Amino acid sequence: MTDAIYPQVRIVSARFLRPDTVEQLLNRLVQVGGIRRMSINGPSIPATVPYGPARGQPNPHPDRKVIRVGDQDVQLRVQVGTIILEIEDESYIPVIGEAVDEVFADKDFSCTVQQGRYMKTQPTLSDYAKYGPDADKQILGLVDPRRKDGPVIIQGTK
Amino acid sequence: MKVKRNMAYKPQYGPGTSKVAENRRKQMNPSQKLEKMRDVTDEDIVLILGHRAPGAAYPTAHPPLAEQQEPDCPIRKIVTPTEGAKAGDRVRYIQFADSMFFAPSHPYQRTYTEAYRFRGIDPGTLSGRQIVECRERDLEKYSKDLVNTELLDPARTGIRGATVHGHSLRLAENGMMFDMLQRSVLGEDGIVRYVKNQIGEPLDRAVAIGKPLDEKWLKAHTTIFHSLGGTPYRDDKEYIEYVQRIHTLRTKYGFLPKE
Repeated sequence: MTDAIYPQVRIVSARFLRPDTVEQLLNRLVQVGGIRRMSINGPSIPATVPYGPARGQPNPHPDRKVIRVGDQDVQLRVQVGTIILEIEDESYIPVIGEAVDEVFADKDFSCTVQQGRYMKTQPTLSDYAKYGPDADKQILGLVDPRRKDGPVIIQGTK
Repeated sequence: MKVKRNMAYKPQYGPGTSKVAENRRKQMNPSQKLEKMRDVTDEDIVLILGHRAPGAAYPTAHPPLAEQQEPDCPIRKIVTPTEGAKAGDRVRYIQFADSMFFAPSHPYQRTYTEAYRFRGIDPGTLSGRQIVECRERDLEKYSKDLVNTELLDPARTGIRGATVHGHSLRLAENGMMFDMLQRSVLGEDGIVRYVKNQIGEPLDRAVAIGKPLDEKWLKAHTTIFHSLGGTPYRDDKEYIEYVQRIHTLRTKYGFLPKE
């Protein structure tokens, strides 16, 4: 969960991004700083075929890759289309806009930066029913809190 | 198959004055030849379908009709069986997903087109995918038509037996429609190759199905109305009028409407 005092930003590109573009964009965002939490969204790319006659077989996919962001490795599990950020204060928003424009300057499609509420601020009844009272509030509403691998933590300069 | 000349009326295939409506009519009308865009071989089609190994005999569901005692039935005398039915082939399928970004065809359109052009088929229409079932050797023949003509664009049409998700999503950076199983891959040389069969099992060799068609061609040949960058539905007054008429009549149907 998040405190409502922190502004949130959503970065939406007109096309799904390749892993190397994501890497470039995220590294640029990390340089901007002021980011508290970040969630990478898009349609899932599973490691095995989830259903159909080939269910359970491995699913080699060129876009399911490990990328390097800051000093950490991040395993991509989705085809990235949207990035949601929670930032420390509103002064970072124009800087993020500039950073995004810089990364997408040589691409033939656009990318927009929007401000709004994109993360949950309190657990819903369904969250309580599904995950119980002790679910990790840091990631509830962003990903499934029952996942064993926790969030990737990228150390800032503060 | 040709439309009978002595029919009491001339089929119109569909309403509309726009380019999209015209394209729809062209695909449906069996007397109009579809433009051939690529040359995928029989063996390649068999590989993509994944129902049998190339060169293997067709497994059968029943003995050939000639060896079977047929009941005395007037309908069986009228209807000529297709090649597949004659041989007693199994019923198999091909399924397509068409991107909303100006794919050349879309589920309803495919079903209409196939119903007008092919025999002995059972199409299934869903919002994001369209499946057609028929006897195996007929299927291979029809699939070849569906893949080789202007009904398919290598980037924006997917041959997907399962996990079809992607038709309503944004395209990837290279212009390919999202596919969770990445059955087709756009190579460095600009050619799209199927590396998995339609249900996602890896193929022994990649099957090339050609270069993606450019945006201009797609917009000129699409059968999808799209208000962002294409022909908006509301601009085709005749189409709207027709749909509204059908809607009104079926709503009032219980009251026996008179025109």
